[in-house]
Amino acid sequence: MRIFSPSNIAVDFGKTLKSNEFIAMLRREVLDSFLRSRAASAGATVIPALVTAIDLPPSPTAPYTIHYTLQNTYRRSLAVDVVIGADGANSRVAKSIGAGDYTCAIAFQERIKLPDEKMAYYENLAEMYVGNDVSPDFYGWVFPKCDHVAVGTGTVRSKQDIKLYQKGIRDRVHHKIKGGKLIKVEAHPIPEHPRPLRVRGRVALVGDAAGYVTKCSGEGIYFAAKSGRVCGNAVVKASEGGYKMIDECDLRREYLKIWDKEYVNTFRFLDLLQRVFYGSNAAREALVELCGDEYVQRMTFESYLYKKLAKGRVFDDAKMVMNTIGSLVKCNILGRKMEGLIL
Amino acid sequence: MQFQAISTTTTMASFSPLTRFTPTPSSSSSSSSSASASHHSKPHLLNTFLTLRPRPRPSNTPFLLFSPLKASADNGVGTAVEQPPQAVPDPPPPAEAVGTNGSIGGGAVAEEVKEEEVVVVSGFVDPKWVGGTWDLKQFHKNGTTDWDAVIDAEARRRKWLEENPESSSNENPVIFDTSIIPWWAWMKRFHLPEAELLNGRAAMVGFFMAYLVDGLTGVGLVDQMNNFFCKTLLFVAVGGVLLIRKNEDVETIKKLWDETTFYDKQWQATWKEDENSSTSKKE
Repeated sequence: MRIFSPSNIAVDFGKTLKSNEFIAMLRREVLDSFLRSRAASAGATVIPALVTAIDLPPSPTAPYTIHYTLQNTYRRSLAVDVVIGADGANSRVAKSIGAGDYTCAIAFQERIKLPDEKMAYYENLAEMYVGNDVSPDFYGWVFPKCDHVAVGTGTVRSKQDIKLYQKGIRDRVHHKIKGGKLIKVEAHPIPEHPRPLRVRGRVALVGDAAGYVTKCSGEGIYFAAKSGRVCGNAVVKASEGGYKMIDECDLRREYLKIWDKEYVNTFRFLDLLQRVFYGSNAAREALVELCGDEYVQRMTFESYLYKKLAKGRVFDDAKMVMNTIGSLVKCNILGRKMEGLIL
Repeated sequence: MQFQAISTTTTMASFSPLTRFTPTPSSSSSSSSSASASHHSKPHLLNTFLTLRPRPRPSNTPFLLFSPLKASADNGVGTAVEQPPQAVPDPPPPAEAVGTNGSIGGGAVAEEVKEEEVVVVSGFVDPKWVGGTWDLKQFHKNGTTDWDAVIDAEARRRKWLEENPESSSNENPVIFDTSIIPWWAWMKRFHLPEAELLNGRAAMVGFFMAYLVDGLTGVGLVDQMNNFFCKTLLFVAVGGVLLIRKNEDVETIKKLWDETTFYDKQWQATWKEDENSSTSKKE
């Protein structure tokens, strides 16, 4: 992956990847249908329908009632004991249990089909752009998707200016996407932090519905899948294979506690990175400068690929901290000089 | 062209005499404007820049940079003006593009026109910026590289690109790495003046407090240093001078603390609800 600073200084981020390691790009349309068919083959009953409402039970042992519509016409209901809400950022399940709200970022993306010689450049390369012209608090990207590229950006605080930022990212890759054809435009909210309530009664939220998206990189797919699995395992364990009724305490103990213990540090660390490095152009220059360092790259990829904050050697960590401070100081000095300049 | 239009406006603006430079935000601006005064009296502007370049500059006055900076800024842009004159006839659209987000309209216009006439030139042009990095050979002063000028040039480049973001390209990648500037160059220019200031403040506060304590309690300096409470006060005073350099820093530190703990609060919110609900109703 290549990261471009606001002044187009580029670093190659991936020098330390081994041959079996890579940064995955995915097409949601393919992944989603794969997951559904895998669930079906594992024994789940798949009902293609739209959930319209969920009735809360009047007593701790009564079932939840899920109202849904089939094929836009038939209205049905289903009585269930446990509900796991995996319905994304605009979760209906979360609304029905009063889980509370969260701030969202908006991610905007355009899929562009490039001419062959330009696509060859992106065959094994993703790009990431930082800068105030691209986003005030996030990054812009060019991600290859098999036979086309996705060019996009996102923001939390200036959602109404998202089109301007999209123009900014397109200008930054102007030469590389010239001659390309726009095939799709998509946008979606991305939660910034977990909801105030993730479990209530016998309803649990997972993935985007719960708000498990890291800051800084905006990664949510792994955490969505993993939280689904952890929650599922929690239900199975607490209900002893489906024979015992569970309650909120079981869900908290088996799902939330285990999840928080495992991943809250990762989330906190990425939040810190975002606060330190995404604040200003000077900080972003420092980020790109630091990303050129091999130790930083190795630690980043080990943490990203294996989803555990990697433990390096203390001496190298100390060196990295000193380099971080040094880069931040140098780039902030340049930033202060820049403020005094009138060009 | 967009940047050429900007260059003409800045050259015009900067040549409205001396009044332009007096409101610069530094105490040593008086010296800079007097330095530039002698040069602005000369009628020929472009020649002025070319002669300004090799002048020796005092190294430890940070804001004197204003005059050579202005000079070199216009020198760089002046080069663009001297380039193919047929690229000039496009003043009206870039003038309004400058008002909005610079690169959107003007950049597109600039690109098309440029491609017809000249080799594609990216927005930032400077004779010392060669092949995507600063050519250190051009920064020589008295036989060694003038790192201060390199730092200034990079600041100018970044400011230029911040205001006129330009497309990254595969043919002209930027390969400049700030780590080529040695650490002592940064230290000499930025750390040492500020360290001097802070040490001065600490010394003044220390002397005054020592005198005050001695006067109030009769405890002399040596005895103060042996006392734990006084040593704590000393530590607080030094820390305070380091962290709080302007009045705004107090607010900044408070805000930083709030931000640090905010994300954590959001994560723990679900557990807080648990405490409230379990105390309010027993299920």
